Amino acid sequence: MSDVFGISVGALQAFQSAIDVTSNNIANANTPGYAKEAVDLTAAAPQSNGVLSVGNGVVVSGISRSFNQATANQLNSSQSSLGNLNALQNYSSQIDNLVGTTAGGLSTALQSFYSAWSDVANAPTSTATRQALLGKAQSVANSFQSTSTQLDALNSDINSRITSDVQQINTLGSSISTLNKQIVISTAQNGGQAPNELIDQRDQLVSNLSSLTGISTTTESNGSLNVFLGNGQPLVLQGATTTLTTIPNQFDASQLEISTSTSNGNPISSSITSGDLGGLLAARSQVVDPAKNQLGQIATAFAQSVNQQQNAGLDLNGNLGANLFSVSTPSATASSKNTSSVSATASVANVGALTTKDYVLTYKGGAYSLTNAADGTAVPFTGLGTAGSPITADGLSIVLSGTPASGDQFLIKPTADVAGTLAVQLTNPTQLAAAGAVQATPAGGNTGTATITSGTVVNATNPSLLNTATITFASPTSYSINGGASIPYSAGATIPPVGGTPQYGWQVQISGTPAAGDTFTVQKNSGGTGDNRNALLGANQQSLPILLNGTVSVSGAVSSLITGIGSQAQQINTAQTAQTAVNTQAVANQQSVSGVNLDEEAANLLQWQQAYQASAKALQIGSSLFQSLLTAVQSA
Amino acid sequence: MRVTQNLSQLNFVSALNTLEANVAQTQNQISTNLSFTTPSQNPVAAGAVNNYDQALAQSKQYDTNANSAQTSLSTEDSTLSQVQTSLQSLRDIALEANSGALSDSDRAGLAAQATQIQAGLVSLANTQDGNGQYIFGGFATQTQPFSQSAAGSVTYNGDQGQRQAQIAPGQYVAVADNGDAVFNQIKTGNGTFTATAGAGNTGAGVLGATTVSNPAAYDGKPFSIQFAAVPATGTVANTYNIVNAAGVTVSSGAYTGATNGQAIAWDGLQVTLSGQPAIGDSFSVAPSTNQSVFTTVQNLITALQGSGTTSASNAQLSNSIAGAVNNIDQALNQSSNVRAGVGARLNSITAQLSVSSSQQIQLQTSISSLQSLDYASAITKLDEQTTTLQASMQAYTITEGLSLFKYLPSS
Repeated sequence: MSDVFGISVGALQAFQSAIDVTSNNIANANTPGYAKEAVDLTAAAPQSNGVLSVGNGVVVSGISRSFNQATANQLNSSQSSLGNLNALQNYSSQIDNLVGTTAGGLSTALQSFYSAWSDVANAPTSTATRQALLGKAQSVANSFQSTSTQLDALNSDINSRITSDVQQINTLGSSISTLNKQIVISTAQNGGQAPNELIDQRDQLVSNLSSLTGISTTTESNGSLNVFLGNGQPLVLQGATTTLTTIPNQFDASQLEISTSTSNGNPISSSITSGDLGGLLAARSQVVDPAKNQLGQIATAFAQSVNQQQNAGLDLNGNLGANLFSVSTPSATASSKNTSSVSATASVANVGALTTKDYVLTYKGGAYSLTNAADGTAVPFTGLGTAGSPITADGLSIVLSGTPASGDQFLIKPTADVAGTLAVQLTNPTQLAAAGAVQATPAGGNTGTATITSGTVVNATNPSLLNTATITFASPTSYSINGGASIPYSAGATIPPVGGTPQYGWQVQISGTPAAGDTFTVQKNSGGTGDNRNALLGANQQSLPILLNGTVSVSGAVSSLITGIGSQAQQINTAQTAQTAVNTQAVANQQSVSGVNLDEEAANLLQWQQAYQASAKALQIGSSLFQSLLTAVQSA
Repeated sequence: MRVTQNLSQLNFVSALNTLEANVAQTQNQISTNLSFTTPSQNPVAAGAVNNYDQALAQSKQYDTNANSAQTSLSTEDSTLSQVQTSLQSLRDIALEANSGALSDSDRAGLAAQATQIQAGLVSLANTQDGNGQYIFGGFATQTQPFSQSAAGSVTYNGDQGQRQAQIAPGQYVAVADNGDAVFNQIKTGNGTFTATAGAGNTGAGVLGATTVSNPAAYDGKPFSIQFAAVPATGTVANTYNIVNAAGVTVSSGAYTGATNGQAIAWDGLQVTLSGQPAIGDSFSVAPSTNQSVFTTVQNLITALQGSGTTSASNAQLSNSIAGAVNNIDQALNQSSNVRAGVGARLNSITAQLSVSSSQQIQLQTSISSLQSLDYASAITKLDEQTTTLQASMQAYTITEGLSLFKYLPSS
């Protein structure tokens, strides 16, 4: 008779627990990381009265959490990919907007600059048009600078986010290790029953960590969790953590790299390819730096070609034109790990051959090697690195101040800094070289019908360029320059012949039939202030293919910059959208296992309430049975 | 699959974000009238639009260049037209002076007129454009190209330069002609050779028309036409001898043109003479050289100032003036040629301007087809997007209200 009381009271306690668990589920329906819990009900061991084995009610054997490790791992890995793409997308869309606005401005500034050369060509002596040209030159420099400054701002933003990600990862790592210790202790104290709330918390931290960087986990038999970074480097081993640190790049202190407390100061950035941190590193190496290099390549080609044209003409004061723009040379930095103090100097030897790559020059075993900094592939080069024999590759010329120690490395960035430092050097409008440097004239007494072109400058650095030269025809079929060797003449000939010696830095064409004794003079274009030949050439540079081995013009390069950045942003947007869908599915899967469904809990509540009421009824019936017995005994 | 309230909430919020972003983008497209606002929305079109924008701006700059060239060339054309008028007046003066009925003082008056016109010519040759630049100075547009000495001779101070303007890709047009080419490089005589009377002639022989009857036969060498009497005892120059530079007689014949003139021809040349030369008189024939129009005018003035009282001096005067008329004709020819060149350049500019205007329309059409929004489809899209947004909001409010707790017994 006592059984009914024992069984009913036990059941009341069990259903009370079940109602507690259900209401706990309801309470945590919106708690991040909470996994739905359920009471594990077990029939109590039966009692035997010697004849029959009678059931002994229900007991709560445990409270289990609804959790599936595979689903959680899938969600974590999806979050890592999404974190990566979110970071990339953030920067690519910023550059996309930047290019849509300021590169459009750059395009307009370039166009106005070339148009201003045309205006100078229309009125070469007008100071007003020259002043306007200087103004347009300044707008071009400003456009390059501001675009570059904004890219730099993105880079420093990336640096600060790297620092904050590293701090968060360290905090999460140490919290996970603390929870590991607590879980081990708590499990031991509760007789092997794992503390669900602590495990929920730890899983939530792991999930947070996974959106910062790609991770993998293993579980120890004592319940503690080990966390490894993408490359297998341990971050948390039971109760111990490895700390991530940021270190400056060996070549460029303004770029932060990731290192760990156990990597001896070596960067491990290249192995972090996932999560927000991986996305930040990728945004720097795949989005921001390439854009900066490409912009610098355009700036270099633009400014150098303008300067060269300036050098080939005469300004209003009758001097050969000075450089209009100051252009910084390629940067060549020694690694902070170099053991020698040898420095490298790089210069642009051929604008057309310049690429948007960065290069690493390594001296090892008595020989240099040149590699692409992005992917480490070898770049062919010639030369020994001395002033007499510079290392020449991809339009660059590199000279080292001595022989480096074995293992020394140098990073060559041909164009990265050019756009940001482009500046207008001339201040006086009269210094713009609109006139051709030389002018060819026939002698007044010539009796032949030959005519001469006004002359073009082919090499502004030739020291003889501005010296007066006389072309004298000894006969209608031969001539000499300044009394030199006789050169055969045919109508339309280029003088002096291309490739012949000596050269004078200019070229003229004579056509028609000269008479013996006819002379032509090529001399400095003194007084030719109304000449616009050089200004015409300056304006014409707009459509001159000078980049990429003479295939693309400056404005064409701006267009391909826009298309390139737009395509990249589009591709990243697409990947991000796809990954978001994948992640939504992973969240749904995880929620499907661990999430709290309130309707389900309501149904459970009803179920436990009814069970509780039934048990209470059983207790009441037991009690009335007992009362009946007492009454029977009294009346007897 | 179990769906939790939390998941429905997450999904709804994320769908709401996407839908609202789409609506915002379409709205932005409509308010800017651009089919894309960042390059990533259409990378290829963004690059192409940039190229077209550049081409359009360049084409407009070429138009500016062409208009500026038109202004310069029109100034040159009207200046040259005035030069032609002046030269025509000088020619009229010369012909009037050569009519034979004028006294020395009449001619002196004509000389004074010619001097005036010469000064006018120099000033035309020094014409400046609206910016104060000399149009005939070549590249030396800030140096006065022609300066006249007290004695009347005119020197060219400019250079041989010819300024150009770019009016289309690869197409340049000269916007000026240098003064040397326009005023100085003018052939004398008939353009091939020039015939002049010997300075010491005492007869009344007068040069008439000179022609090249066979250009292939003329070797470009000078000759002298010398008059003599045959037999040598005669008193009238009835024979001419053509003597070359080496002193060799290449042709000779009887001269019978004292009254009606006679054409003397040799080696592809023909010179007409009239009047009676004296024995020993000579006429030289030399290849044409270049002579400045100012020298030509100066020579005319000098001739007009000479005396014409005897038959010999009348003949001299007549020969000088006729020579000057020949040279003025050459100068007129030259300025006509230059004007023809200017006209041709003006025509090519006009043609290019019309080509470029249709090119610009084409470019603008291309830009707008890439960049401009198709309003009909954009508004349809916006309608769709807002409808979806509304529907999803409505669906949420319906499903969100579903809860078993509502049906739990209240007691």
